[in-house]
Amino acid sequence: MDRILEVLARPDYPDLLWRHVSLSAAALAIGTVIALVVAMLVSRSPLGAFVAINVGNVGRAVPSLAILALVFPLFGFGFNTALVALTALAIPPILINASTALRQVSPQVIDAARGMGFSNLQVLGRIRVPIAAPVIFAGIRTSAVQVVASATLATFVGGGGLGDLIVEGYSRGDNYIMLAGAFSVAVLAIITELGFGGLERALTPKGLKVAQKRRGK
Amino acid sequence: MRNKGHIRAVMAALLALATAALVAACGNAGGGGGQGGGGEGEGGSTITIGSKNFTEQYILGELYAQALEANGFTVEKRLNLGSEQIADRALQGGEIDMYPEYTGTALVATLKDSEPAPDTPEATYERARELYSQRDPADTMLTPADFNNSYGIVVNRDTAEEMNLQTLDDLAEASPELRFASYSEFQNRDDGYPNLKENYPAFDFKDTIIVNDLNLRYRGLAEDQADVGIGYLTDGQIASQDLAVMEDEKSIWPFYYPAPVVRSDVLEENPEMEQILNDVSASLDLETMQQLNSAVDIDQQEPEEVARGHLEEAGLLEQ
Repeated sequence: MDRILEVLARPDYPDLLWRHVSLSAAALAIGTVIALVVAMLVSRSPLGAFVAINVGNVGRAVPSLAILALVFPLFGFGFNTALVALTALAIPPILINASTALRQVSPQVIDAARGMGFSNLQVLGRIRVPIAAPVIFAGIRTSAVQVVASATLATFVGGGGLGDLIVEGYSRGDNYIMLAGAFSVAVLAIITELGFGGLERALTPKGLKVAQKRRGK
Repeated sequence: MRNKGHIRAVMAALLALATAALVAACGNAGGGGGQGGGGEGEGGSTITIGSKNFTEQYILGELYAQALEANGFTVEKRLNLGSEQIADRALQGGEIDMYPEYTGTALVATLKDSEPAPDTPEATYERARELYSQRDPADTMLTPADFNNSYGIVVNRDTAEEMNLQTLDDLAEASPELRFASYSEFQNRDDGYPNLKENYPAFDFKDTIIVNDLNLRYRGLAEDQADVGIGYLTDGQIASQDLAVMEDEKSIWPFYYPAPVVRSDVLEENPEMEQILNDVSASLDLETMQQLNSAVDIDQQEPEEVARGHLEEAGLLEQ
């Protein structure tokens, strides 16, 4: 245990930790924007949604190392290349959740809104999105945890992060270095899960919270 | 959330996780996967050969394995075990009977010799051999192949010519203007960058980028993402990318000559192994090893094929 703490006290640790967090945050932010925009664009077209979701899943199907190797000639070593690969991983959960949730808003509610004179944009912004919000948020939360766990891939392309520790520990046969890195990632992932969980509760519209309670959630 | 859907989702996730873990456990990149130990096969004994986790090690493992097979042994290959720590544990624990190790690496990493590094390749080998034989269970380090797989600090040919860089002293002076693509193990291992800095204090790179993938590091050099790289003297990319190797006039690194390290009890039971393995080692030199490495890393051939090709050419498969 002491030896693991020794690793955490290394002068390069804060940089690795900060880089890991900032890479994850950036990938999540960009991924969320892309996923939400696409989901909103295809919210009224089943075919569009189908295509979007399957294209998005390519981000999970293609091995991250392959994405790194493909993007490397464009951005070279470092943050940006890793960011592209991580963003590709961040998009699918959010896209699937958002697209499905936006399209599954009850037709009666939308009908009522149109009856009140809402335009399509108003229906989207004031009806669909708030109702879909909890599911969208669950997607973002899932994506956040996955991104934090996967940001270790940055080590292969000079992007820094906790992956550096894990690889170093593995290469040198030093379990303490490796575990220090792995535990750090795990703790980060847990904090992310709990943090986003809290945010989710905070952002669920009050009316939905009441409905959820009534349904016995 | 306490509804049934939530519980079902969790169960499904656990099931998927367990399935994935099972599939991953069944896949084994090293080829073969049998349990080790020198048992009796049909024609001869069964020898389990391990190796570390990089190309040269796969090739050496294949070379020794195929040579033994051609001479009547049954061989289990457990290549790609991991670092020297992992391979050594496997050796001493009986999971493998032998693996290729470098004289210098053995002294520093596994035998943990406290004496200062010996001055010559021969002295390095003798010391390693002696320390190996004193272990329990004892090991025998056979005759090394005649090439030094030491660290090589490499520079793009153009940059080296422009700035007239030939030795590590030259490079140290020029380093504040250069970008260095390194990796975590080298930066933090005692005999890596710290050793370099101690002997050539002028080193102070403009930028040190930690890239933990050998191929991407070399590609970075080729694509002008970095000026200086760190590799091993036998890396195929040194030849194929025409990189300039900086001369180490102070000989700051130990000598890393590869030799089979065999558990002494296995060797006693099978004394013919010694000659067979030594013949393979004797057939290798620096250029040959670079070419074999290059065939795997750059031409994407399989280590097994590459090894077989070399053994055939050297006439070591006929017996």
